[in-house]
Amino acid sequence: MAGVATWTTRSYAQKPSMPVIGYLCPESPELFASRLQAFHQGLGEAGFVEGRNVKIDFQWANGQYSRLPGLAAELVARNVDVLVAPGGAPVALAAKAASTTKPIVFEMGGDPVQLHVVDSLSRPGGNITGVSSLSVDVSPKRLEFMRDLMPTATKLMVVVNPTSPTAQSQLQKLHAAADTLGVRLEILGASKEAEFDSVFAAVAKDGASGLVFTSDPYFAFRSSQLAALAVKYRVPAITQTRDFPIAGGLMSYGGDFMQSHRRAGIYAGRILMGEKPSDLPVQLVTKVELVINLKAAKLLGHAFSSAFVAGADEVIE
Amino acid sequence: MFPRDRFRGLFYKYFLALFVAVATPLAFSAVIEGWFGYRDQRARLDQWLGLQSASAAAEIHDFIHGITTQLGWLVQLPWTEEPDERRRTDALRLLRQTPAIASLTLLDGNGLERLYISRIGLNRIESRADRSADPALVGARAARIWFSDVSYNRGSEPYLTVAMVGNRPAVGTVVAEVNLKLIWDVVSALKFGRTGYAFILDRSGRLIAHPDISLVLRGAEEATSKPFRAVRDAIGPTRGFATSRDAQGHYVAASAAPVQGPDWTVVVAQPLSEAYAPLYAALWRTAMLLAISSILAGILAYALADRMTEPIKLLEEGTERIGAGALDHRISIHTGDEFQRLADSFNRMASELELAQQHQERIAKLKRFLAPQVADLVDRAGDDSVLDGRRTDVVVVFCDLRGFTAFSAGATPDEVMSVLSEYYESLGTVVAKFEATLINFSGDGLMVLVNAPVPIEEPALRAIDLAVDMQKNVQALIAGWRSRGYHVGFGIGLASGPATVGRIGYKDRLDYTAIGSVVNLAARLCASAADKEILIDAKVAAGVKGKRPVEDLGGRKIKGFDEAIPIFGISFNSLSLAEAGRSPDG
Repeated sequence: MAGVATWTTRSYAQKPSMPVIGYLCPESPELFASRLQAFHQGLGEAGFVEGRNVKIDFQWANGQYSRLPGLAAELVARNVDVLVAPGGAPVALAAKAASTTKPIVFEMGGDPVQLHVVDSLSRPGGNITGVSSLSVDVSPKRLEFMRDLMPTATKLMVVVNPTSPTAQSQLQKLHAAADTLGVRLEILGASKEAEFDSVFAAVAKDGASGLVFTSDPYFAFRSSQLAALAVKYRVPAITQTRDFPIAGGLMSYGGDFMQSHRRAGIYAGRILMGEKPSDLPVQLVTKVELVINLKAAKLLGHAFSSAFVAGADEVIE
Repeated sequence: MFPRDRFRGLFYKYFLALFVAVATPLAFSAVIEGWFGYRDQRARLDQWLGLQSASAAAEIHDFIHGITTQLGWLVQLPWTEEPDERRRTDALRLLRQTPAIASLTLLDGNGLERLYISRIGLNRIESRADRSADPALVGARAARIWFSDVSYNRGSEPYLTVAMVGNRPAVGTVVAEVNLKLIWDVVSALKFGRTGYAFILDRSGRLIAHPDISLVLRGAEEATSKPFRAVRDAIGPTRGFATSRDAQGHYVAASAAPVQGPDWTVVVAQPLSEAYAPLYAALWRTAMLLAISSILAGILAYALADRMTEPIKLLEEGTERIGAGALDHRISIHTGDEFQRLADSFNRMASELELAQQHQERIAKLKRFLAPQVADLVDRAGDDSVLDGRRTDVVVVFCDLRGFTAFSAGATPDEVMSVLSEYYESLGTVVAKFEATLINFSGDGLMVLVNAPVPIEEPALRAIDLAVDMQKNVQALIAGWRSRGYHVGFGIGLASGPATVGRIGYKDRLDYTAIGSVVNLAARLCASAADKEILIDAKVAAGVKGKRPVEDLGGRKIKGFDEAIPIFGISFNSLSLAEAGRSPDG
């Protein structure tokens, strides 16, 4: 209530200028459309509608993550009321580096404590809080699902983006999981779209291996390209986002990005109403979903077991 | 009467009494109504909040019960030594159907871990780790369903461990990790009134569910949970509703209900301002009614007090005016009650007083020329028709001082007035004594009428005695005056005969007088009389013949009469004789 009152007073005092959200985005509007919609939904739940009582200042990096620090600095310089940094750890880190005073709401898949974005989940401290989708945490689960699908495989291939801040921790977990599961890992690196082709070609050449993508926004936003390559090279692959099986890939396991972006929108709204980021604990999404594509499995000649199908949150036929 | 005075007197008393008589019961009933309204509202609130907390507890219980029911499916069949693929499928399906469950552990009858399925971590199949010492297993074996204390994952997310055994040892145990953040869906759907809400505390008083998820994620912190625990503690074990303060310090009405199983407490809270809104509205209405009633009572009391004091004021005014002599004033009150009767009685009194005053005035007038006894007689008769003009036999007596003109020319006005004063004082006494009618006096002369207007028996005798008495008294005065060096004498003339008597003059100056030759005769006789002399005409002399010593003085030429008139006298010297002679007669 107090927050509403504060906001109302401020909005009247500064009329006609509405509060401004600086929206720092690693990709293009087309790739981000569904996430942005979820964000708007959350913002609406907190009482804000773009154009009516809030303005959004967008900065699109269009996949060039190296531009993120510069774009973040520009939004800070424009004195936006809150900086929203969705779409992964690189965005959150760029935003955090740009200002220590401007309220920041992040949305990412990695562990924000481990990445030193916040001090703790319950008490983020400082000017930043947000939502984590658990996608990075469940990387070993993707390895497990691939192993379940190919119980006879002795070797599985993992694609990692060497530029990702979470690359090392994910690899560590994956190696530990591989030991438990009794498989060998072969690590392939890819940080540009041009490298994707060679990754799939390498797996296809091997013949008896599945491809596990680590959690990485760069991969996540290029799901349709990855799906097309998986079909082209007839490679069984698993990624973090449902976009992949929907586009024809085999399966995905990761946090529900609709939920995480919606909650980021709610947090942005609450901060606009006067709450401090330090008082808003980092939220972890509650939903981690397994999406499988039976058609892709048929094309690849790998049948999902009944337990697999039973455990899937969504089955594409 | 000035309004200022009106608030000191009866008006104020009446006004106050009437106002208090009307306003007091109103105020009393308003207070009673307010008090009962407050109690009713509290009772309603208690019932309503109790109902809400019970239904909230039921909802939470349903949430937990839904999970335990699902878990029950996993502990129905006994374990074999073989890996149980079907049970794995069931567990995966359960995990998909129940989003709140983060992981499931299935233990066989020996307490060995047969299956572990997690959303985040790697699954374990047939690890056969001995978990028989696990508190979850121990607890579930003791109570069939066991709930752990709430733990906060990474200091933030509340988790609950639920363990459940089947109906026989061989079916083993299922242990589930439940992410309590999912209760948010239940708790945030619980709305009470406009802004009421529910929250849940675990048995140690930590916040595990609240519509604001950010509070839940800090529930492990003492600072976050403390105000919520304070609300719960304010309600106490009686489970009635209580008023307390929420985390922002606003007053809330709160009620609590226990959640069976995990031993939690559901608290429903509603801002006191909202909870008491109907009461405040009722109180406001009552206050408005009371204010309006008081104003009406005031107007009524004013009107009634005015109605009661206005006649009194008129009476007061009227009596003051009547008292001040305005006897023709009438008090005009037409209230038809005691006031009117009182006013009528005052009016009657005033008219009687007016009559009495007129009477008095008439007597006063009459007394100017009638002896007081005569005047009273006329007055008692009720009308003064005796004063009307008529022709009757009268005895006219004139008297005056001899040598007064010379004396008054030589003496000071004080001396003159002093002499006249003594003179008339003396004569007046005599006239009154003999009930004669004083007609007028001018200077030193006096005219007295006997037998008019009041008839007297033997008027001549009465007139003679009157004259003698006059002469005697005045001569006594003259003796005194002589010693002061004043040389005056006194003579009297009487005549009897018919004369016209009656009032003459005009409205404000009426005199009673006699007109006729007898008057002239008496006046001439008086003029002829020397000092100490009383001259009478033949008719008077005839009237007293044999009764008083009358001396025939022979015919005398009197001015205005053609022939000489026979004149008689009563010598002054004989007076004392006559007096002496009459006294024995009584």
